[in-house]
Amino acid sequence: MESVSDVLRDADPLRHEAPQSDDERERVRRAVLGAASDAGALSSMPLGTSRAALLAGIAVIVLCVVAVAGSKMWSGGSATLHAAAVRFEVRLADEAFSPGLREARVQGSGTLVYLRPEIIVTNDDISDSQVIAGDTPSRFGIAVTFTTAGAEKMRQATAGHVGGLIAVLIDGEVVLAPRLRSPISASAVITGDYTKAEAERIANGMRVR
Amino acid sequence: MVDLLTVGLSRQSADRLAALFDTHYDRLYRLARRLVPTADAARDLVQETFFRIARAPSSVPTDPAGEEAWLVRVLINLRRDDWRKMVVRKHHQDEVRHSTPVRTDHEAAFVARATVWHALDRLTPRRRAVLVMYELEGLTIPAIASLLGVSAITVRWHLSKGRSELSRVLRSHGGESHGKC
Repeated sequence: MESVSDVLRDADPLRHEAPQSDDERERVRRAVLGAASDAGALSSMPLGTSRAALLAGIAVIVLCVVAVAGSKMWSGGSATLHAAAVRFEVRLADEAFSPGLREARVQGSGTLVYLRPEIIVTNDDISDSQVIAGDTPSRFGIAVTFTTAGAEKMRQATAGHVGGLIAVLIDGEVVLAPRLRSPISASAVITGDYTKAEAERIANGMRVR
Repeated sequence: MVDLLTVGLSRQSADRLAALFDTHYDRLYRLARRLVPTADAARDLVQETFFRIARAPSSVPTDPAGEEAWLVRVLINLRRDDWRKMVVRKHHQDEVRHSTPVRTDHEAAFVARATVWHALDRLTPRRRAVLVMYELEGLTIPAIASLLGVSAITVRWHLSKGRSELSRVLRSHGGESHGKC
């Protein structure tokens, strides 16, 4: 009488299939690293399935911040607030004042930035937002994926502003204003010092139109 | 204080993602292949896992064991999402396959393997992963518990339930002898 172990070993596909070729491995590697590095990877994506196409189209751009005092912003955060809308905006910003710019203080830092009047993307340009684990077990951030239209707006706005500042506003407050090192397109990750409840409130609220 | 570390997928993040891929791809592929029906589906699942990681490479723990555990959990969670969608359809396919006549020894062996693997499709991905890690990868229960972030008791429970579910499904398929657990 065969044991479950024997049955599984006999049926193990890895015993009966040829080892995965280096070419296959390399194709996946290129897809992952290409899609992660820029949106242009979509056209060179090697895997042909529709799901892979969808995922490869999401070029990932990462905004990493350490928001030591970020939790103070949403001191009322709790499960009861998850459905409340959170107003999300991204704008270009400058370090020096010039006519037409609005002065704003970056939450928690005291740093002054000068916001440009044009809003690049808002809640309407978000296709998904998720809570992600932060650098410590009790802290969380938010991953934001833009719609196709939103990603294009981000790409166009940021391509000519590399080296300058970009401001992320939540409920009208500038929560971070990082310096652009490369154009941003399809998505962003805000890794902050949020509690899980705060991150959930923001992530859920971002999707409320 | 808000302090910017990086914007864009920095060189550091890209290097980290590449290092994660190079270190863990083969291990993840082996696990994925034992969780999904085809090699293509396994590659898709691993690719999807790394896409998910690419959203925030800095979130992945930096120690080797932590890296592996993080990636394995992401992979299993992604598989769970797909599994929920396909489980009803698979059930129907299993019934159709079960009625297929077997004509040769080669076909019989193939169908026997397929029957086992389709029976595994009935298990939740986490339970299946526990079974695969224990029975095929030879991991210990504490090691599996650490990888999945659950207690050893939970692993034992999944193992026991997985074995009995698998035996039950195989018996219902015409069952050669799979009674010993």
